Amino acid sequence: MAEIQLTSVEAFDGLLKPVGDVRPAGVRVRERSTLALATVMVRKGRRADLANRFSDAFGCALPDAGRRTEGNDLAFVSTGPGAWLACREHGGYEFSESLAETLSGLASVTDQSDAFAVLSLSGPRVKAVLAKGVFLDLGDAAFPEGHAAATQCGHVGVTLWRRPADEAGDPVYEVAMFRSYAESFWHWLSTSAAEYGLTVERAG
Amino acid sequence: MLLLECPYCGKRAESEFHCGGEAHIARPETPAELDDQAWAEYLYYRTNPKGLHAERWQHRHGCGRWFNALRDTVSDKVVETYKMGEPRPDASNANIPDPAKVRSA
Ligand SMILES: [Zn+2]
Repeated sequence: MAEIQLTSVEAFDGLLKPVGDVRPAGVRVRERSTLALATVMVRKGRRADLANRFSDAFGCALPDAGRRTEGNDLAFVSTGPGAWLACREHGGYEFSESLAETLSGLASVTDQSDAFAVLSLSGPRVKAVLAKGVFLDLGDAAFPEGHAAATQCGHVGVTLWRRPADEAGDPVYEVAMFRSYAESFWHWLSTSAAEYGLTVERAG
Repeated sequence: MLLLECPYCGKRAESEFHCGGEAHIARPETPAELDDQAWAEYLYYRTNPKGLHAERWQHRHGCGRWFNALRDTVSDKVVETYKMGEPRPDASNANIPDPAKVRSA
């Protein structure tokens, strides 16, 4: 049997490019291609046990609805009752395996690294761009760092969360979507950000 | 923009939701024993009130959960939303006819 060679291709491969006047750009976009992802769904009646296992293993609380928490080198985003999206930088496929082991008996873990595409969106005008596609109040009071939501952006289903501000002091949001929506999402993003200028930062 | 309150996510745009028709309709325990009329009533007969109506809604483009909503079919105002499995809230002070009484009238 011939050996199968698989090449890793980013979801936004060939799509992301600068848009509008970028001197300076109002929005910066970066594909978070090195993020390993997994969904975590609690087993019936085991939420309290899961919360304990979480704090023991990761040193962080299980996030409540609409929240994201970070622990050690990973993060958890609430996506609905009893459901979370787990993220680890450079976690690879081993991430979901080790997570499933850690949460064994308390939650079901499914690898989603190749199912979702994640974009980091930042810059001085990022809120103005997101306001064109998201029906949520993303202001600092209503949606500060650590807040998250399962919602829509440009009619694409997304999980959205806010990170700490970047070095320039600009707000940072990350948006996860099914990777087959990458082209549709880029169509919305490139059109919506054109008036502010958009630059592409190297994936990672 | 109309806002609906998901019991899990809070207030969201109506476009994130999907209505699933009248709530609190229990599937008969023994369908095979029903006559056609009784089965048809389970499948198709609805109260269709002018006033408060308990409906199933799904936060389809959010957390994905189903919940129930009490909606006034005259004003389209959603008076209350509540989780699946919870009883229909008492709307006696909402000054709107009870669908059960409308049906028997
Ligand atoms: Zn919801």
